[in-house]
Amino acid sequence: MTEEEFQQHWDRDKLAYDAWGGVVVATICTELKKAGKSIDVFLKIPPKHRVKGEQSLIDKAFYRPDKSYTDPYNEIEDKVGARFVVLLIEDIKLIDDIIKRSELWTFDACKHFDEDKEREPLLFTYQSVHFILRPKKALNVGGCNITTEIPCEVQIRTLLQHAHAELTHDAIYKAKRAVKPSVHRTVAKSMALIETTDGFFNEVSHQLNHGPVEELGIVSKLDAIYFSSTKIKPNTQKSILTILDEFEDLVNDTLIDSIESYINKTPEIAEIIQEKYSDSALYKQSTVLLLYWMLKRKKRKLLDSWPFDKSILIPLANDIGVSMRDDH
Amino acid sequence: MQLLKLNIDKIIIHQVYQRDADGHRVKPMQTHDYTNFAPAAMETFKQRIVEALGESSKAVEMEIVNQDLTSVSHLVNHSIDEDRVTFAVSSYDFAVKLSDSQLSRGIPGGIVVIFTGTVGRSANKFLGIIKAETHSAYEAEKDSQTGEISLKYVEEVLLTPSSKLYKTAAFFEKANSDPQSKDLNDKWLVMVSDSQIGKTDGKAAAKYFYYSFLGFGYPQTSARTTKQFYDETKKFIKALEVDESQKSDYINALTTYLKVDTSSTISTADFASKYFDQDTQDEFAGYMDDAGLPTASFTKDIEYISSSLKFRKVSFSKNIKISAPSDSFKSLISMSTIDGDIGKSGLPEEWTQVIIKDKIVKQE
Repeated sequence: MTEEEFQQHWDRDKLAYDAWGGVVVATICTELKKAGKSIDVFLKIPPKHRVKGEQSLIDKAFYRPDKSYTDPYNEIEDKVGARFVVLLIEDIKLIDDIIKRSELWTFDACKHFDEDKEREPLLFTYQSVHFILRPKKALNVGGCNITTEIPCEVQIRTLLQHAHAELTHDAIYKAKRAVKPSVHRTVAKSMALIETTDGFFNEVSHQLNHGPVEELGIVSKLDAIYFSSTKIKPNTQKSILTILDEFEDLVNDTLIDSIESYINKTPEIAEIIQEKYSDSALYKQSTVLLLYWMLKRKKRKLLDSWPFDKSILIPLANDIGVSMRDDH
Repeated sequence: MQLLKLNIDKIIIHQVYQRDADGHRVKPMQTHDYTNFAPAAMETFKQRIVEALGESSKAVEMEIVNQDLTSVSHLVNHSIDEDRVTFAVSSYDFAVKLSDSQLSRGIPGGIVVIFTGTVGRSANKFLGIIKAETHSAYEAEKDSQTGEISLKYVEEVLLTPSSKLYKTAAFFEKANSDPQSKDLNDKWLVMVSDSQIGKTDGKAAAKYFYYSFLGFGYPQTSARTTKQFYDETKKFIKALEVDESQKSDYINALTTYLKVDTSSTISTADFASKYFDQDTQDEFAGYMDDAGLPTASFTKDIEYISSSLKFRKVSFSKNIKISAPSDSFKSLISMSTIDGDIGKSGLPEEWTQVIIKDKIVKQE
């Protein structure tokens, strides 16, 4: 293929590549939202696709000393690309799963840092996860025909891996002059440090987010009881974790059953919540069920160790007719 | 009393006075308008009612004894369904009745709060009466300039958290009562909360309220409830995961609570807070509730258990028994669990060390 032919092909296909990049990003974002993630929080860099500039494409196809293609047009698979940058190694897994599960495309898992580590255990270099996605069936998006031949490269990496890539991509790989060994060494050292730090980040996140409350799924189960009894979707806030943390010794596999049986036995509670829903934020959260149950069954403990202002409990105690007096 | 979904629709107050220097009755002051509380004030009012009559309160269930046409119960029975205008007038009759019942000059004046509303899913009606004595207190006043606080003397305040200063009674309409029945006890469940009721010497001080004014008496079921309390508490203690000598201490405590303690009312919460730790208190409350014991208080009557209370017995597996009058058992016998010889399991057997602080006087 001559440079001219390459250019003609590209002029013809460019819009289809652009459209396919858009579909890929939108699909992954939709799935992330379904998994309960807020895009703004979960992705550390706003997700978007990018079509390669014409010059850099031709440069890559015909003027790279280290690469020679027999069929450059089809062999260059990153003509359109999208990048997802997350905080933690374990977050990568979520996007990885989304890509592998989707029925929209076929995927070619062409790079994964875990496999790189297996293959080259002594090497500390660029880490990322790359997929090449092609439509399973031809699509028509906005009048643009996307054939099953059109690839899109997706890169997924942590914020720290991304920082490394940003530094090395332009400064090292595209360096005009030969790079000194000491610079390579320093870059490799920083990758080793990044891998170590990513590991620590994961460990910290694990220790913060994994305890009996998470393992037993207490909050989501309370939410489910709230919904099934009141028919209202709860809006439970993080303060429930402070409460559960304070009463840690109550958190075990019988807690939810005990609360559920109390709520089922006391249908008035669902009615009270429905009636007082707009009275205060507490009634909108499944936390209220835990508190009613504690007022009824663990009152002594609740009153002795309640981490917030006790006046919050007064309306709840009044709702179920439990005296909060301490003077026995 | 289960006060789930407590809803209050009418509140009206009247004023009653102490008898004058010559012992003559002073006519109560009538109020014609209902009291309308703002939401926060209403929540506090509900809180007072729940504290007085709700779960783990000191309220006791009583029985309507006086059912005359002029009795308070009769007044409740016919005024509960009146419209707002008529009820505002008849509510004054309660103040008059109370004033008539306050025969002694020692009984202070105060206000009478008459309120009605509903409880529970099926919105059963109730009527409540509070007699609140006024007392003096201070109000914190903030200087708007400096932000400093000074105290302003307030001569008459009432319905403060101290329950010693008010007496509460309530008539709760029973669900599915027989409309043909002439006995008002079939239609109304009545509760009284009065800090003086439980005291040994307080019965007389409380009597003008529950008996002269309300026409109530102690329920005949007290002895049965007391026995049930005794039996269930013993069962609970036996099942506790503590060593035997600790259980023995708890049973001694139960005996003391029922036999020696001078209070004329008992309650699960009261017993638990005196003798159990925090976790056991909660567990005990749940256990007794499930066993059907009243969640508030009830009057003590040890008729059915007096013989059980007289003697304390402890049995061992090989037909060894120790029995003693409960007072002596508590003061003269101490038991502790100790490690014995190594048993078949390879672990020390559990032995009991008994000390009897007395000499042997007779052997057979």
